[in-house]
Amino acid sequence: MLSFLPLLLLNALIPLGSANADYHERLLLRPLPQSAVLASFNFRSNETSTAFEEQNFRYFPRSLGQILQHARTKELHLRFSLGRWDAESWGERPWNGAREGGTGVELWAWIEGQSEEEAFSRWLTLTNALSGLFCASLNFIDATKTIRPVMSFQPEGNHANSSNLHLLHGTLPHEVVCTENLTPFVKLLPCKGKAGISSLLDGHKLFDASWQTMSIDVRPVCAAGGKDCILEMEQTVDMVLDIERSKRPRDNPIPRPLPIEEIACDESKPYNAADSCYPLEDSDGHQAAWNLTEIFGKPLKGACPLTAEEGENAHTVCVNSPPERTIQVNTTGPYLEANLAGDTVRCYKLPTGADFDLVFPSQQMTTGLVLATPPLFAARSINGHGQERGSVQAVIRNPSTSQAVEFVYLESLPWFMKPYLHTLRAHVSSSTENPIKETYYRPAVDRKRGTHLELRMLIPASSTLTLTYDFEKAILRYTEYPPDANRGFDVAPAIIRLITPPSSDGKGTYLRTTSLLLPLPTPDFSMPYNVIILTSTVMALGFGNIFNLLVRRFVGADEVQGTGGLKGMLVAKVARIRGMFGGS
Amino acid sequence: MAPTEGANASSTSNTTPNDLKSPGTPPAAETPKTLPPPETKESLRLRQWVIASFWAVVLCLGLPMWWKTTAIYRADLPLQHMTDWAEGKICKPVFPLRIAVEAPFQLPDAHNLIRTTQHALDDLNEFSAHHLRLILADIPVARNASQQMVTDGMGISSNDRDIALLLRLIPVETGTTPRSMLQTYATRLDIYYAAHQIPSSSSTGSPLATFIAEELHSIFAEEQALLAYQLSTNVGALTPKMKAPSPEKVAELERQSTRALKYAPTYHLTFSLFSPTSVPSAWEIESALQQYLAPLLESFSFISNFTVDTQVQLYAGFSPSIRQPEYDDNLKAWTLRREDLSGFINAAEWPLSPSIGVGPTVNFVLYVPDQLQSPLLIKENGGNSWLVPQWGGVLILNPPTSGKNTPTVLTKDALAPAMHAFSDQLMSLLGFPQTPNSLPLRLATLERVRAASLLFSASSTLGALARLTKALPSIPIPDTVAKSVDLTIAHLQQSCDSLRDGRFQGALEHARTAEVEAEKAFFERSMVGQVYFPDEHKVAVYLPLLGPVAVPLVMSLLKEIKSVVR
Repeated sequence: MLSFLPLLLLNALIPLGSANADYHERLLLRPLPQSAVLASFNFRSNETSTAFEEQNFRYFPRSLGQILQHARTKELHLRFSLGRWDAESWGERPWNGAREGGTGVELWAWIEGQSEEEAFSRWLTLTNALSGLFCASLNFIDATKTIRPVMSFQPEGNHANSSNLHLLHGTLPHEVVCTENLTPFVKLLPCKGKAGISSLLDGHKLFDASWQTMSIDVRPVCAAGGKDCILEMEQTVDMVLDIERSKRPRDNPIPRPLPIEEIACDESKPYNAADSCYPLEDSDGHQAAWNLTEIFGKPLKGACPLTAEEGENAHTVCVNSPPERTIQVNTTGPYLEANLAGDTVRCYKLPTGADFDLVFPSQQMTTGLVLATPPLFAARSINGHGQERGSVQAVIRNPSTSQAVEFVYLESLPWFMKPYLHTLRAHVSSSTENPIKETYYRPAVDRKRGTHLELRMLIPASSTLTLTYDFEKAILRYTEYPPDANRGFDVAPAIIRLITPPSSDGKGTYLRTTSLLLPLPTPDFSMPYNVIILTSTVMALGFGNIFNLLVRRFVGADEVQGTGGLKGMLVAKVARIRGMFGGS
Repeated sequence: MAPTEGANASSTSNTTPNDLKSPGTPPAAETPKTLPPPETKESLRLRQWVIASFWAVVLCLGLPMWWKTTAIYRADLPLQHMTDWAEGKICKPVFPLRIAVEAPFQLPDAHNLIRTTQHALDDLNEFSAHHLRLILADIPVARNASQQMVTDGMGISSNDRDIALLLRLIPVETGTTPRSMLQTYATRLDIYYAAHQIPSSSSTGSPLATFIAEELHSIFAEEQALLAYQLSTNVGALTPKMKAPSPEKVAELERQSTRALKYAPTYHLTFSLFSPTSVPSAWEIESALQQYLAPLLESFSFISNFTVDTQVQLYAGFSPSIRQPEYDDNLKAWTLRREDLSGFINAAEWPLSPSIGVGPTVNFVLYVPDQLQSPLLIKENGGNSWLVPQWGGVLILNPPTSGKNTPTVLTKDALAPAMHAFSDQLMSLLGFPQTPNSLPLRLATLERVRAASLLFSASSTLGALARLTKALPSIPIPDTVAKSVDLTIAHLQQSCDSLRDGRFQGALEHARTAEVEAEKAFFERSMVGQVYFPDEHKVAVYLPLLGPVAVPLVMSLLKEIKSVVR
């Protein structure tokens, strides 16, 4: 049996900001169960706010800086996510969930504006400009996908006059995050993936990960008294790589079974033939062999020279593993190793201009890391059947045996999914008390805005909260259906922010459910042409009859003179044939 | 063969008697027992009326309605007028420049001097559209000697912006006379003369007059050349009296005019530091801009506004698609070929996206080469900077070779040569002429040249719109386009009139509005939407209705016509 060591929280490794323009980056690697590894990249560039106002950009990217200035955005949070964080086996989320987004793209920002209309028009400017910068469909965040959350988000930065700041939030759950979003993301970094830990970022591996999220956070940070302000931009990339999957070479990505000689077979079982084998399961504590170059597909090209030369911040690659785990360093340049924040974290100062690699050989471990239990588990699904109605069920579980958790649950539903608020039921397994403490609800307006529902709820220790509500599916107009209408429509993930226990770093603790796929009744898209043809035919029939009644002359059947034309010929033919058979 | 023929023959012979026999079976159909009563005239006429009225509805109501509802709206455009503008038939721009003369002597003498100088000027002038007219400035009678003139700076009449140049005659006793001095920061030309050089009223020519005329001519020579070039490149605007400039001059002028950016009320200047390595990672750009660029931008501020932004980009080498630099032993430097310079800008990796907001972006790129490839020069002339027409300028800054490594911070002094080069590049990108050596005069020249070029470009846009309208009958033309065209023509006319009257500021304003409106009309978005909706589609959609309805209508009409003819 493994003995467990306490796990270090990611946030403890984030250095404090200074009042100067500087740049900092750090990569944290943490092995997870089931031969997965969490790689958490953090890049932070600062610019003094005077230099930012004068548009003298050094570490802050000019393209993004100009967008923020043009749209008067004071604080920005942008997320690109893919996959699902498996909280059951991976434990607590990195950064307490404060640096991740729901599936797809999520954006929220505090925008300066005298009125709501002004702020909204700037929001549209912002989404359009970011859409161009990140090659994402952010310009599709319109009024129907924008909400103004009340309780779910708090500004992270220091804002001088927060009275005319407006928080706007938009999501695109359908957006598929891919390499075209990573390239502009990496270009924003001062070392551009040419040096430093960003040289490990490769689209093939990043988007092949079990879970990945990229985030950009811009916020003003001021010293006490509102002086010496800096603008801080934090970019993070978090991903969970499956070691076996990532080690597959790029030119031969299809998994193939190993030759039988190389598989460790379970000898305790009886075999009928020599070519059969029960593979021996990885025993408890067995760690697979891997190295950085192998799982990221690229070598780490030394340090980014802009990071600090000395001190803790110079150690840019950290590994969070039990001390007994063997790590070999493979580099030609000088490097330093240090233990920061306890002996479970080993950090390395990279050599400049020389490749750096960490090799983790195959090893049988006797100790492991305790993976912290997340404060809440949440799952959400659509129930019901038919084309007209459905219901949503969210199950939120508090695993703590001692502490009650208070949280805000935010739903942003598209307008064509119309919830019935009177059917909203919240039920806690351990008590009969209503867990909903506060409700904020802004109903949808067809084609104008979506539903915005925020609930403040309290969930007692070791109990499960079940939230259900019914909804009706609207029928869309013919042109409102997307090209792949039968796939269904994505519904944005619900966002849960914990109020108690409060987070230690002021960034909040968040978790998000997965997005939902909502099937809507889809029409037959050739219908308009069928309708045109059918009505035209009916009208033409009616017209023909009336017209003929008006212009034809009606005579008695015996008064018909001769049968000329086609009919006459036919009658003559028939008579001839009949004569042929009848006569002989 | 034979039996079959026989069988056929027998069958035919068999049928004939049958045919003869058979008429007994269908007699009712072929020979009616009773004939229908002859149609009355009334019912015949009624049928004709019915058919006629159906056709009347179709032709008088249906077709016009069909036509009207499926027609593309095309507002009326004054096509001929627009073409005339484009061909320069309506406006022949002239540039009468007024030059005020302040002469501190008697009125008749002054008049005489002006008259003789004007004669001399007219003899020198080869370009009739651009002519200088001397007028006498009103000098207060009680003006006392030259001291007062120095103190009050500009003369009274020169407050008027329409006066192109103030000519001030100053009598002196010493030094060579006549001599001239052009004020660098004012529109004033000082002429120093000796008292005896004032022409007497009887003489027709005088050295002073000739001198003044030649001075003026040389001051405005470049402007004349620029305007002449503008006029000559625009079809139809060619004035007959003009002498063609030499081919070299034309090439030079063409180079200048293709370099220059289009006029905009706001320009964004972006200064970027690129380095293929990680050094230098900082530059003292704020103070360098403050010292070298701010005064220049201030003097331009009444033509356009400028925003300035800067960025530092590391690990950003030049484009890999061009040939790598070669080492030149003579120059002791790495060299780039001239023909590769156009591909130097690494558009794929350098974040040189245009700034947000209206107005073009002018990029200035400072490139610090890798230590291993330093110094980096241009092979042909050993230079280190070049200008990218209508885009910006590039300068390769080779760090001083004394130090072993490239400095991490570029100081203000190290940036000085780059800033001077960028200032020069900015001047030529904005289309400034090289001469004369007076900033306000160059600005005024720029104003006139810009007015002329805007006038021509707006006119040619109108012509293009007219051609487009004629060439594509299927595009809709909304009313906004017609309105814009009317506005353009009105402003063009006013601009042309202002030019004739010598009000160049007004001419520029009107030409600018005309240009904006012309562009708006030409790039109207709703005009392109319907281009790909051909007429066949309209018919195809309604064919299920039109086909079955048309068949009985046409058949009955034909039948009726046949019966009438018979």
